[in-house]
Amino acid sequence: MFKKIITPFEVMKAPHNMALIAFWLVAVIGFWYLSTTGQKHLLPSPQSVLTGLGEEYQEGLVPHIMSSLSLCAQATFWALLVSLPLAYLSTLPLFRPVIQGISKFRYLPLTGITFYLATSPLISSGRAMQVGVLVIFMSVYFVTSLLSVIADIPEEEFDHARSLKMNRWEVLWHVIIRGRIDYAIEILRQNLAIVWMMLVTVESIVMSAGGLGTIIKNADRYANHGRIFAAQLVILLIGILLDYLLSELRYSFPYVNRTQK
Amino acid sequence: MKHEYKLGGTVLLVDNVSVTIGDKPIIENVTMEEHDVIRDGHNQGQMIAVVGRSGRGKSTLFKAITGLRKPTKGRILIPSDEANKPIEVKEGDVGFVDQKYTLFRHLTLYNQLKLAAQKGSTPESEIHGRVMELLSKWGLEKAKDQYPGHCSGGQRQRAAILSQILSSGYFLVLDEPFSGLDVGNVEDVKSMLRLVNASHELSTIIFSTHDIELAVELADKIYVIGFPSEDKQIGTIVSAFDLKTLGLAWQSYGKEHIDLVHDIKKKILAS
Repeated sequence: MFKKIITPFEVMKAPHNMALIAFWLVAVIGFWYLSTTGQKHLLPSPQSVLTGLGEEYQEGLVPHIMSSLSLCAQATFWALLVSLPLAYLSTLPLFRPVIQGISKFRYLPLTGITFYLATSPLISSGRAMQVGVLVIFMSVYFVTSLLSVIADIPEEEFDHARSLKMNRWEVLWHVIIRGRIDYAIEILRQNLAIVWMMLVTVESIVMSAGGLGTIIKNADRYANHGRIFAAQLVILLIGILLDYLLSELRYSFPYVNRTQK
Repeated sequence: MKHEYKLGGTVLLVDNVSVTIGDKPIIENVTMEEHDVIRDGHNQGQMIAVVGRSGRGKSTLFKAITGLRKPTKGRILIPSDEANKPIEVKEGDVGFVDQKYTLFRHLTLYNQLKLAAQKGSTPESEIHGRVMELLSKWGLEKAKDQYPGHCSGGQRQRAAILSQILSSGYFLVLDEPFSGLDVGNVEDVKSMLRLVNASHELSTIIFSTHDIELAVELADKIYVIGFPSEDKQIGTIVSAFDLKTLGLAWQSYGKEHIDLVHDIKKKILAS
């Protein structure tokens, strides 16, 4: 058994995999306990994290979670509204150079974008600025990934559609839009992870709008590591849940195989 | 015994066609003329094979014949609805099945065929009946609600061929339909091609293959595409073997077929 788990590419049975997961979970929690005993330690103790979580709950953790989820939902909605048409329009020679140029904006630094949005007369509130920053970030990555998906579609799929007397718009619809909708969801799943990771930064730009980032920022001000760690754990767990839900949404399309990467 | 036959009108004329991609000429001065083959007591179309080494322009020629790539020079004519008025081929006039048997990944087999029929000449009111009839005839009735990703290779092959038949009518071009198939699937595809061939007098199947024995067994005409000389690396038709005039078409595979295979292989190796 031991030889198997240290052999490259060895395939394990499901119960054995579960046992390995349980082992690592216990090991990580055990390490956490051990590493927080003594005078100096890297992480806050489990007890202080639990206490921090309780305090945060009392002080309105749930409304903050809802605020963060709302921010993410708004950013995702607008990013999809911008990115999907842009990516699909990239198949038109007229728009291709512009859209490929937009994809390069992912090298822009966050600070610069935040500054321009903060000074823009079009941005009316702190929440609008937060949404704006996330939409810009999400869109440039979304467009880049979708352009890559479109570029990777085998020529045979276009030929198949054309050989069925489809006009070019029908080819776009069947091969790229409908034919790759599950890929778009997969890209959304990956981009949402980036956005969720940026949450603390973006929410700390305008603290009055609330959100999980605000909780961390406040706890950081008083160097309350237990509360910081508790908020981080909440962000991580909600992130994993969102990831799971989007993954399930992708597999809900009947033509997508579970084994498909 | 040599079978009697007559030649009818031209069903395909590839007239001095050249295709250049970017700056690179791929095929040059390709000419092929196919006639309706008429045999008393037989309802059958034409079966044409194109053979040659890799990189000689078979796929490019096929894309030109199917209207998917416009020739740089020359023209490709097929019959139109009006007698004696051939038309230049355009996208969709000639069915095209690639070696991966590509289908739409988001449609069930039934919906693939329905969509193809809508693009073809089947009246809207008859589409469901026609699609169900073909699904049943080709052994796909039980798989009609499956998506290509959940179908076997054989089921995908049949669906890909059927969708092109429903959309394009008589003409079918297949790029290496036997590539990578096991013995059973090869037999299935052979049966399918014979079924299509026998479906209409004007049915015209053009396929490429690296299996010369199969080409000789199935085709009634074989073209060899290759480079005309070592100095000229552009694909063109270097030989044509008409199995009808040789008395080998529609016959059981025998010694003369084996000799022809050797001759064709020699031509391929020399080009």
